[in-house]
Amino acid sequence: MSGYDDSDHPVEPWGPHDWSHGAPHNSFSPIFMSMGIALFLFMMAQAWSFGTYTPGYIPGILLGLAIVGFGLFIFWRQDISFDGSYEPRSSGVPFKNIQIRKVAVWVFLMSEMMVFTSLFSTYMRYRLGIENCGDMYERLEASHELVSGATYTCFEPASHLIASSGWHLTPGAINTFALILSSFTIVQALRYAKMPDIDEEVRRRKVYRYLGSTWCLAVLFLTLKMVEWFIGFHIPEIGFLGISEQNIHPLVAEGYTINADAYTHHDYHDFIMNIQVSASLFYVTTGTHGAHVAGGIIGLSYMTYKAWRGGYTPTNAVSIEYFGLYWHFVDLVWVLVFPFFYLY
Amino acid sequence: MERRTAMTRSMVVLVFIAIAMVVSPAVNSLPTGIGGDNIQSQGCNCHNTLPSSNVIPSLAGLPEEYNVSTTYTLTISFSGGPAEGGVNSGGFNLWASDGDFSVVDATVQARSPTELTHTEAGNDYRSWTIEWTSPDHGRNVDFILHVNSVNGDGANTGGIDEWNRLDVTVAGSAGAGLEAADAFKVLGTLIMISLVLLTVTILYGFYRTNPDNFTWDYLAPWITGWLTSTDHKRIGTLYFVQGLFFLGVGGIMAMMIRVQLAGPDTGFISQDQYNQFFTLHGTTMIFLAAMPLIAGFANWIVPLQIGAPDLALPRINALSFWLQPFAALLIFTGVFSGEGADTGWTGYAPYVVSAGAHRGVTFWVAGQIMLVASSTLTGINFLTTIAVMRAKGMGWMQMPLFTWSILVANVMLFLSIPAFGIGLIQVFLDRTISTAFYDMAAGGDPLLWSHLFWYFGHPEVYVVIVPAFGVISEVIATSARRSIFGYRSMVYAMAGIGLLSFIVYGHHMFTSGMSPTLRFVTMLTTMLVAVPTGIKIFNWLKTMHGGSLVYRTHTLWALGFLVTFTLGGISGMYFPAIAMDLHLHETYFVVAHFHYVLVGGTVFGMFAAIYYWYPKMTGRMLDERLGTLHFLIGFISYNGIFWPMHRLGVVGMPRRTHTYFITTDDFTSLPEWAADWNLFISVSAFIFFFSNLILVANMLTSLVRGQKAPADPWGGWSFEWMVSSPPPTPSFDWNNLPELRDANEHIANEPTRMGAWFNRLMVPDQEEEASN
Repeated sequence: MSGYDDSDHPVEPWGPHDWSHGAPHNSFSPIFMSMGIALFLFMMAQAWSFGTYTPGYIPGILLGLAIVGFGLFIFWRQDISFDGSYEPRSSGVPFKNIQIRKVAVWVFLMSEMMVFTSLFSTYMRYRLGIENCGDMYERLEASHELVSGATYTCFEPASHLIASSGWHLTPGAINTFALILSSFTIVQALRYAKMPDIDEEVRRRKVYRYLGSTWCLAVLFLTLKMVEWFIGFHIPEIGFLGISEQNIHPLVAEGYTINADAYTHHDYHDFIMNIQVSASLFYVTTGTHGAHVAGGIIGLSYMTYKAWRGGYTPTNAVSIEYFGLYWHFVDLVWVLVFPFFYLY
Repeated sequence: MERRTAMTRSMVVLVFIAIAMVVSPAVNSLPTGIGGDNIQSQGCNCHNTLPSSNVIPSLAGLPEEYNVSTTYTLTISFSGGPAEGGVNSGGFNLWASDGDFSVVDATVQARSPTELTHTEAGNDYRSWTIEWTSPDHGRNVDFILHVNSVNGDGANTGGIDEWNRLDVTVAGSAGAGLEAADAFKVLGTLIMISLVLLTVTILYGFYRTNPDNFTWDYLAPWITGWLTSTDHKRIGTLYFVQGLFFLGVGGIMAMMIRVQLAGPDTGFISQDQYNQFFTLHGTTMIFLAAMPLIAGFANWIVPLQIGAPDLALPRINALSFWLQPFAALLIFTGVFSGEGADTGWTGYAPYVVSAGAHRGVTFWVAGQIMLVASSTLTGINFLTTIAVMRAKGMGWMQMPLFTWSILVANVMLFLSIPAFGIGLIQVFLDRTISTAFYDMAAGGDPLLWSHLFWYFGHPEVYVVIVPAFGVISEVIATSARRSIFGYRSMVYAMAGIGLLSFIVYGHHMFTSGMSPTLRFVTMLTTMLVAVPTGIKIFNWLKTMHGGSLVYRTHTLWALGFLVTFTLGGISGMYFPAIAMDLHLHETYFVVAHFHYVLVGGTVFGMFAAIYYWYPKMTGRMLDERLGTLHFLIGFISYNGIFWPMHRLGVVGMPRRTHTYFITTDDFTSLPEWAADWNLFISVSAFIFFFSNLILVANMLTSLVRGQKAPADPWGGWSFEWMVSSPPPTPSFDWNNLPELRDANEHIANEPTRMGAWFNRLMVPDQEEEASN
């Protein structure tokens, strides 16, 4: 079969790569990433089975993730020397002269739209098809059909807990602003990377700091999400501001879990609910978005490191734009997820 | 990995047995006889969990060694236990591995020819008389007798009632005989053999590339080169080898299914195993054979046809490939332990999330998730490549039809497969961390899965056929030595099929209880999709009519495709008529239809593509005589397999069931000729399977000894024929890309009014760049 004709072209499957010759012809990254993903999914399936957790598989899960990480490491090891000398542009209509990789990112975002569309479809089907718990409670109360001790299957949106008070909404609100702000910082990073006549050291610092801020805001997002889901927070009394002491419980402490088949809420007296579907939808949809943020954090880590090394110049600044497109998309999805799952 | 799976599996099985023994009696209907499916393994546990040695069962009247086909009178009796004479003193269940029982009085009833139990009238006895006719083969026969001894108070609690079990083996003149073959052992062995053959072939390939250096020092870089390559040609070859390998594995499964179905109640594959067989056959053939074969050709040919040096994202392309073999490992987990996925390739809820489905379903789902990722990345890659890397002078309407077909297929694929991916993630989470997406008790809706699956599933089947359309267009045009008739309408037809494919998926759900209005609408859209397909068929016919056909093997397969795909399409047109669908659903008519379009369509298209492009890919010509032999035997035997299935389906032979009956006193029976035709189908299947080995042999020997191929052996016009056979690497020089000047088979270069308007809208002026 065909090998490589030019002998002065070394094969570097582990990286680093000399981009003056074009894209890498060999890379160990794909096979390691595939191996890691397969191992990770296999170990996850072994560790959990219908809610039963079997300990002892965590090392296997971590090994799978580590192998994926190793594959990514090789991928980036080949990329870190990328300086923009090889960035082919489209030759044909309708994308003439636009970078090929930019077109690829847009096409990728189209497929991601289908991912979130499917999640929203599932949400719509269940939200509109299963009676809301509040409505069911009122209906049964009014007709005196409420059976004490019976469990009712109904749809309990997370907003009933989260949007119940200003303090409850605070993590979500901060998250929204954090993501929007991070979209701004990533554009600023791109702007400074592209800016033609500035000192290289100034450029390096600006790009590195803006990328780092984006990273910090993304980590803040995930941290606040964990606070909201698992940790909760305490509001101390601040008399002169009129703030009374409060304990904001996390969602799982309130009983809003995917296994909640005997859920109660203080608004509904003596009403036991099976809210497994509602909780599954909430956690999986917001969790999928969170997973996309996490993926962005991983990418940002690499980019921040590369920026710190001074790797972004006007010639290859467009790489930041590729990530920026993805990041704006993640932000946009949050702007849809937040009202639908947290407010409504 | 296997040990852990076996350990986990045995723990799960033990847990289930323990639960079953305590919670739910496996047997039923007490005073009127003992039955139930698990009595042989679990005993009469209604009365007590464990057997008691106080009860002594006996089976008298059996000889030391039986004579064949002789009737013996047997007496079943017991002593001991709390039974006193009178009401409800005892019961029994007698099972034999062979032979036939006959009932002599009203105290005994037959649950099947090999299983007897007492009747209500025989419920207060301590001995029963029956007759047993020995089998004619002379092998040993095993008997299992359960008796219970009750105190007659009508209750089975308190541990007073007792039972016991007796195992007797009666020798025959032939001795123990051969152990019945376990279907999974056979499958496992055949897969192992295939893997060994594949490894040997790969090593031989290495040897041929470098005969003087058949050492490890040279092997390691050679293998590394293949494992890490991002070149579209190498990745295409990898896809190809994977696709052919799994075509063989899927074919082995099909052969075993046909052995099982060769006659009624053959007993080769048990019901539970059969569910796993058809699940894996479908999944393997669609996801691990058909799609990789198409991806293999797409990877090889599309960049060559558009004049691009490689795909847009080479490393992502490699990732798309490597996800597949590892996904295959996950999907096949459970096959070797007997716990493979048994849901059908469509994996319907709620069974797919139930604990009753095998453990392998979780791994099947995980593997499918990886395949979804692979297909999404492939879709992105090809869409981008075709949109942005066409050679100068090649506008959209100057692209070869194979490239168009890959474009349409990939657009359909990457827009529809994320829905499947989300459904799979929901099932995976339901089966692992116990979310409640499809948990009916919690309000989950199994129909949601059907929608998510078929929203992908229907475009998917067009994804596998549209590239075959592209291949046929190329092959027929070149064979007819003229350009394809109606290029523009071919493009619009493919685009129309792509668009319509998203709004017809309801036709897979006609029997699910959907609203009649929606069924009506889906009926119309489904019938509509035949129109663009018909346009294509007429265009192919007209191409041949206006041309001068040369008969090469690829031409023969293309002609065969025209016949079989048309037949498959026509049989498919019975299903949109809802009344017909209700009758034909889940029968062999469906099996006939989709095998006609999938094998007679996709696989024949791929065979044509192999014979057409093999010289380009390897630089050697395939042997035409072997090719013609392959075609003749394959085409005839293939029709012998699937044509009779239409009639079998119409008389009601159900699909996805492990056996069928033709006895006239069973209401699900089929006419007697059904068994004869099933045997005919099975024999044809074996002939078809072995005829494809002719192709493999042809490919391997031509690689070594074939005639050297010129750049353009068939007289084609597209770019791939302008480069050498095999092409260099990189396929084109980045700094010296080709330019399309005279595309005489396509329409003139002037853009249409729509194209000109789009141009003005999208293309920036000369002075500024599109982005800085």
